[in-house]
Amino acid sequence: MTAASVHTRRRPRINVPAGSFLLLLLVILLWWLAAQLSFVIPTPADTVGALVSNFGDADYRRHVEATAAAVLVAFLVAGLLGVLLGLALGLSKWVRIIFEPLVVGFNGVPKIVLYPVLLPIFSLSGSKIVMGVLFGLFPILINVAAGIRDMPAVYWKLARSVNANWWQVLTQIIVPAIRRPLLTGVRLAASLSAVGVVLAEFFSTRFGLGRVVLRAYGNGNYPDMMATILLLISVAFIVSLLLWRWERKTR
Amino acid sequence: MSQPGIQISDLSVEFAGGDADPVTAVSGVSQEIDAHRFVSIVGPSGCGKSTLLNVVAGLQQPTAGSIMIDGKPVTGPDRRIGLVFQEDSTLPWKTTTDNVAFGMRILGVAKRDQQRRAQEMIDLVGLQGFEQSYPAMLSGGMRQRVALARTLAQQPSVLLMDEPFAALDQQTRILLGAEVRRIWRQTKQTVLFVTHDLSEAILMSQQVWVMSYRPGRIIDVIDVDLPDDRDASVVSTPAFNELQNRIWSTLQQEAMRGFVAESTAA
Ligand SMILES: Nc1ncnc2c1ncn2[C@@H]1O[C@H](COP(=O)(O)OP(=O)(O)OP(=O)(O)O)[C@@H](O)[C@H]1O
Ligand SMILES: [Mg+2]
Repeated sequence: MTAASVHTRRRPRINVPAGSFLLLLLVILLWWLAAQLSFVIPTPADTVGALVSNFGDADYRRHVEATAAAVLVAFLVAGLLGVLLGLALGLSKWVRIIFEPLVVGFNGVPKIVLYPVLLPIFSLSGSKIVMGVLFGLFPILINVAAGIRDMPAVYWKLARSVNANWWQVLTQIIVPAIRRPLLTGVRLAASLSAVGVVLAEFFSTRFGLGRVVLRAYGNGNYPDMMATILLLISVAFIVSLLLWRWERKTR
Repeated sequence: MSQPGIQISDLSVEFAGGDADPVTAVSGVSQEIDAHRFVSIVGPSGCGKSTLLNVVAGLQQPTAGSIMIDGKPVTGPDRRIGLVFQEDSTLPWKTTTDNVAFGMRILGVAKRDQQRRAQEMIDLVGLQGFEQSYPAMLSGGMRQRVALARTLAQQPSVLLMDEPFAALDQQTRILLGAEVRRIWRQTKQTVLFVTHDLSEAILMSQQVWVMSYRPGRIIDVIDVDLPDDRDASVVSTPAFNELQNRIWSTLQQEAMRGFVAESTAA
């Protein structure tokens, strides 16, 4: 086996359409042009350089880990809670009658205004997770509940006629039947819990990328600032894209 | 001596109706079907045919009366009873094989038996070559075949069909009707078949029950003395015509009553 074939086999095969690739090039070009015009905006090369050197710094990695861990926990909690509440809302007429107005109303609230209220209760590290959960919860909850309500009535009749127990109904009918809205909810929750966490970090935190961005801005260190923004955008972009592709592949 | 297949005794079903008046969907129905017989129910829209079938299937509790299948009472959903729905009940995320095996899977049939029996049923309903297709790739008639195969795979002794062809076009219904008859002559389940198509009822069955408009009662029972190996050409025989006229004269009045009641209510 030649070295070249080993190389191509190891590389993950991502089939990016040519159009997206060209668009990416265009964005980089525009960015580079903007950097020439304004001294506040660092060039793409400087930004990537700053990002690489940042990752050499243990302190920076600690910020990355803090944000990543908070987003992950927030996403998982939002997912679990969202599915459970969505099931309750979709399955029970009474839960729906009582809680639907509450859900709709609260979904429209700018949740970040609650941050100062959360701080004394959940402390610095807990509050941003709660904020991430609050952001991520609603898309899952709403999509799951709507998915269940849109399920054809004959599925329930089928389940009853074969005498399926509740676990079988959940795993073999409900979950596969709502797979598409569920995945849409998961994708939205993934990005929105990141929004919640980073937004909270902008206001107050000890460790986290939101704080890093703000501090770099305060110090006039624009390459550092852009590097972290680039990191946040790229990760969120790729995660959303992968989830979206998965969503579209499901039947 | 014939064995009992389905025994319906003094059955009534009433719906509370919330703030509206209670609706009596089925009233005092007592009928018997010997095992292995094929019986059709015809009746005007909204007369209680589906309700009657749901009660026989154990999916709904009657207000009064009882059901026996093969001499034993029905108290709830029951594996002796298979039900084919009017709506498309195939699961879009499952292939034909997995759809057909679905009931067996829920009932906990061994994996190997599931596969073998699913294939047998696929062959029986004529879906060979479509084992790995998803419902989206199948026509409406083929999906109903999948649903039929799924029901048959549970090996029920009683097969209930609630307007299984209602959503299909005329040619497909005739073809599928002939298929169902062929399958029935092979498997010999006791069949209760609901339709609002008179000639379909006569063509398919050994006996036709005519149901009245609400409250649903069986107001006529007609034995169909046509040859067992009949095909669609029988519709042009005098015997078929006579049956059709007799059923229609009863049904016409009921359909009219239903029509008047529905339009004055609206
Ligand atoms: N769950 C229910 N609650 C209240 N009323 C009901 C319910 N199900 C059926 N009904 C009423 O009972 C009557 C009989 O309904 P059913 O569905 O059995 O009629 P059907 O003969 O099957 O009609 P179709 O030919 O339209 O299928 C109708 O008037 C219907 O409105
Ligand atoms: Mg009906």
